[in-house]
Amino acid sequence: MNLEITLTEEGNQSIITLAGEIDAYTAPDLKETFGIVTKKAGQEVIVDLEHVTYMDSTGLGLFIGALKSTKENDSELKLVNLQDRVYRLFQITGLDEIMDIKAAIRGGNE
Amino acid sequence: MENFFKEKADEYKKLLAEYIEFQDEKALYGVELVSKAFIKHNILPEEIVNIHIKALKELYPDLFASFEHSLDFLLEAMISYGLAHQEIQNLREQQIALKSEISVAAQMQKTLLKTKKPDIAGLDIGVISVPANQMNGDYYSFLQNLDGTIGIAMADVIGKGVPAALCMSMIKYSLDSLPKESTPPPVILGNLNRVVERNTESNMFITMMYGEYNPETGKLVYSFAGHEPGYYYCADEDRFTEFSTAGLVLGVSEDVEYEQAEIEIAKNDMIVLMTDGVTECRDGDRFIEIDEVFDVIRQYLHLSAQDMVQEVYRYFERLQDFQLQDDFSLLILRKTV
Amino acid sequence: MNPQSCVHIHKEWDIVGARQLGREMAKEIGFSTVDQARIATAISELARNIYLYADQGKISYEIIYNNSRTGLCLIAEDEGPGISDISQVMEDGFTTSGGLGAGLPGVKRLMDEFEAYSEIGKGTTIKTVKWLR
Repeated sequence: MNLEITLTEEGNQSIITLAGEIDAYTAPDLKETFGIVTKKAGQEVIVDLEHVTYMDSTGLGLFIGALKSTKENDSELKLVNLQDRVYRLFQITGLDEIMDIKAAIRGGNE
Repeated sequence: MENFFKEKADEYKKLLAEYIEFQDEKALYGVELVSKAFIKHNILPEEIVNIHIKALKELYPDLFASFEHSLDFLLEAMISYGLAHQEIQNLREQQIALKSEISVAAQMQKTLLKTKKPDIAGLDIGVISVPANQMNGDYYSFLQNLDGTIGIAMADVIGKGVPAALCMSMIKYSLDSLPKESTPPPVILGNLNRVVERNTESNMFITMMYGEYNPETGKLVYSFAGHEPGYYYCADEDRFTEFSTAGLVLGVSEDVEYEQAEIEIAKNDMIVLMTDGVTECRDGDRFIEIDEVFDVIRQYLHLSAQDMVQEVYRYFERLQDFQLQDDFSLLILRKTV
Repeated sequence: MNPQSCVHIHKEWDIVGARQLGREMAKEIGFSTVDQARIATAISELARNIYLYADQGKISYEIIYNNSRTGLCLIAEDEGPGISDISQVMEDGFTTSGGLGAGLPGVKRLMDEFEAYSEIGKGTTIKTVKWLR
């Protein structure tokens, strides 16, 4: 399975739109992307997971790594449009308590 | 080697002559065998082309020049294939060596992480833990306290394979160093969290459940650190109920207070604990639902707890075409009195 | 022909000249067609490394004799950035470019003897020999 990563930069916002599955095979590319965008101080990193159908624990690890990186570099991380199955992972692991997560925003333009 | 080479080169020439004259399948089968013998003796493609050129020149001394040049050209084109072939061969040998090294490590891990299933009257315990690859990133352990209570730990390190297995040893040693006294589960998880947080990379984490069961009272006191929920099976109502506590996975944040809760189970009731290798099972593109796990368990209620977990594992192993996607661990504890 | 020769590598086209000279010398010494092709390929790899990573350098050729054996010795020298970890570069499966079979491990396979020296910021020297069988 593949993961499509699209990065759009607008001012101090980096929007990462993901589509596909996040697992041990697709993780390295995403890790690299996170590594770059979270290093800029003041940057707001928004990850759109609307089209992510599956994520495993390696994927969760990436988000934890990204969160730690934002704390060290004074940037911000936000997760939006999570599907139920993916959101459940963040809930079980307690990560929803320490991360800025907006679950499903279905339809409409923000 | 020299002899072999000469012999096969002669055979090649003979077969080539036969084929040029008759175009028969027998010669083609013959060259297939010769070619296999070449591969077995690591004869490179450019050498085969060279054998071909030589044979052809001997058979047809007045071959026209441009055709001869074309064959020299082909030989040149084969050199890089020869190199690639040698590299693959070497990598293959390295891979075999690596595999056997890992299997030794996996064996060591098994010995290292071994835990004894407590043998207690009135308690039927079944547990299974199968790695997706050779090394296991799941872990379970039983601790027998002096006051008769039993500590039950189940943990899952992010990822699988060697890194996960290495990380797991940390949990094992930390648990081993606990005093053999009843300790509140949140305290144990809090301690482990600090150990993991200090000793792992930023994107490493562990999910864990720790519970303490009192065989006298049938009471389980538990705490969860981001782990898959457990399920309580009430025999009277034939119903599974989820139980968990909110809590962050181990290794992410230094100071985490874990919560505690408890349940009491009656005769024939069961406690079911698992890792996400069970809940994240996939049948093709379909993810299984937790109800499917319950249904399978129900089918085997008449068996002992150990046979039950084994049958459930077999069911999901079959479902995934015998290729586990993730480490699979399942623990069932049934009160029999 | 002069038993000692040298080709400078500045541009990709020089790789062809380097191969050509090596093949001619190999032929003169009496190497088989297959070995001539192997020597030419080894020269290609050495010359391409110079061209790609060091910008410029040279390859020297020498006919050598050792106990009744005759061989062709190639020395590739450059003053490029150097290689920080030669063992890593020599490892199969480690490719920065070129892919399977290419690079220095390929040169080592094509030839009989192989030595490499490198210093960061100073350059790299590779000496390799093929003996006549």
